[in-house]
Amino acid sequence: MSELWQEAVLDAFRETTKRVLLLFPKFLALLTFLVLGLVFAWLVRFLFVRILRGIRFDQFCERIGLVPAMAKAGMTQPASYLVGRVSFWVVFILFSFTGIDAMDLPATASLMSAIIGFLPNVLAAALLLLLGLLLANFFADAALIAAVNAQIEEARLIANMIRWAILIFTGAMVLTQLGIAKEIVVSAFSITFGGIVLALSIALGLGGRNVARDLLERRMRHKQASDDDDEDDVSHI
Amino acid sequence: MTISGEWEQVREPLTSAGPVDIIIGLPTCNDAGTAKHVVTSLLSGLGKTCPGTTALLVNVDAGSHDGTPDLVRQVVEEGAPGSPVHHAMVTLQPGALDARAIEESGMPGRTQAFETIFGVAVELDSKACVIVDGNLRSVEPGWMDLLLRPVLDRNADYVSPLFRRPRYDGSLTNSIIYPLSRALYGTRLRYQSGACGLSGKLAKASLAKGFWEDVHARFGVDIALATLAVAEGHEVCQVCLGPKVYEGRRSVGDLSEVLGQAVGAVFHFMETYQDGWEGRTGSKPPAVYGPPYEPGTEMVTIHVERMLKGFRQGLRDLLPIWKVVLPPETLAKILPLGLVEDEEFRFPASLWVQTVYDFALAYHEQALHQEHLVKSLTPLYLGRTASLVLETRDGGPDEVERTIEALCQTFERMKPYLIDRWRFQ
Repeated sequence: MSELWQEAVLDAFRETTKRVLLLFPKFLALLTFLVLGLVFAWLVRFLFVRILRGIRFDQFCERIGLVPAMAKAGMTQPASYLVGRVSFWVVFILFSFTGIDAMDLPATASLMSAIIGFLPNVLAAALLLLLGLLLANFFADAALIAAVNAQIEEARLIANMIRWAILIFTGAMVLTQLGIAKEIVVSAFSITFGGIVLALSIALGLGGRNVARDLLERRMRHKQASDDDDEDDVSHI
Repeated sequence: MTISGEWEQVREPLTSAGPVDIIIGLPTCNDAGTAKHVVTSLLSGLGKTCPGTTALLVNVDAGSHDGTPDLVRQVVEEGAPGSPVHHAMVTLQPGALDARAIEESGMPGRTQAFETIFGVAVELDSKACVIVDGNLRSVEPGWMDLLLRPVLDRNADYVSPLFRRPRYDGSLTNSIIYPLSRALYGTRLRYQSGACGLSGKLAKASLAKGFWEDVHARFGVDIALATLAVAEGHEVCQVCLGPKVYEGRRSVGDLSEVLGQAVGAVFHFMETYQDGWEGRTGSKPPAVYGPPYEPGTEMVTIHVERMLKGFRQGLRDLLPIWKVVLPPETLAKILPLGLVEDEEFRFPASLWVQTVYDFALAYHEQALHQEHLVKSLTPLYLGRTASLVLETRDGGPDEVERTIEALCQTFERMKPYLIDRWRFQ
């Protein structure tokens, strides 16, 4: 009995030691990957920030209206710094997952291939988001300036509506690209958009019929009066 | 050197016409009401100014439906007293017309017409070229002498017109284009359009540099030509041509579009010629020929309260954009103007100059999309124009001229503000 017990304990100990000894190099590999990840990520961030500052990327982002959009979203740091940070985390996460893969754990067996397979979707979604932000700013600014110059009182409202319409559309496209609740996003977008249009039509057709008529009549009268005699006669050039 | 595609339409008959000393350019578009008078006046003037000289009238038409080209041909074929005049007709293809380009004359395809006329002048190695808008009702035979003589006898390369215009007419030119260009290039040219005289040398210079491919030249041909002449040191002069009366009511389109094209062209050429203007200080008047210049006394309808409303709305709604364009010290001076009552409203000249220079700097720095940037200047321009009217409406016509002159001097005095920031911002 005593011998059996001793053998069982020794077997268990040997097995555990063997497993620990087998795990140790993998653990060391994980640590190495993490350290390498930190070093490479820092290096990539450093290079990115230097190169982007060298090519005046911050000024470019300011010019295309990205900086105000980012500021509105609470990101007040320079664009080059943000790109540097993102690149740092992308490189570090890639190294970390490689390290986890090196552990050869059954639970993480296909983690790396899944991540690499999903990467194109993430990149496409990021580009879509960037493009959407740029377009939203560009068209909102264009509409704001045109409406102010035409002396339309609701200039800011028009500009904001255009900005948010483009942003919502972009958001829906980004979520679809990432495959997150694809059907729900498409349905929600269609229902919301259709609902808004329908609500506006009903509101104008029923509730605001008289107001709309008065408004149009006033506009027509004003335009007619302007056409008749009220326009400035001055040639500016 | 580029040769306009339209030149191909007239190459065959013209090369057999032999040497031609003078080119008369006539851009037209549905101008049957004025074409006969314009052509008769110009040919009559030519006969008196240069008897015996061979000339070619190039009628560049932007697709008239009222028989304008036939009318022009008929008048030319009837003959000019004293001078053999050939006739050439060029029809601009609809695809060649830039619908966005805004002209004071309201004539489409004017820039393309200039390009074609210059191409013909260079191909035929002509000495001088006179271009007159086909819808100008106030053309007189004497204009030919005034526009041609400086080129033929006094070596002028660009003869700019000086018209007597109603009070406050051309306020964009007088508030920005003329004073800014004068401060930059040191020549007091009033930047008016409608008629001009040019030497073959200037026509050649413009074609040699890809000038016509530049979108800003296409949108502001008169500003571009005048800038080319003064910035590159060509001999320029002005001639007083009296009043400028266009046929029918002109519609030049949306103010912000006009401002975007005209001011955008000046800002753009600041980049092109920056080595030329940075070192220049002060300004000199060009030679002026013809009867003495006098400002117009006629008043035009101008709604100051509407301009002030536009200015205040700009203050309210465009502030986020102006914060990108204007430095805090300029903005701090502009903001209190929004609280002033209409009658007391004044936009000081020094503040206006600082604002225009800041916009030019922001354009140079590409702080914003350039078209948005220039168009966002519109409410500020309305404020300055309203201030000009409020300051001078009780005075005589000379009062307006004095105010414009004072503004020009402020632009010149504050030029170091621009130069200090241009390269080192």
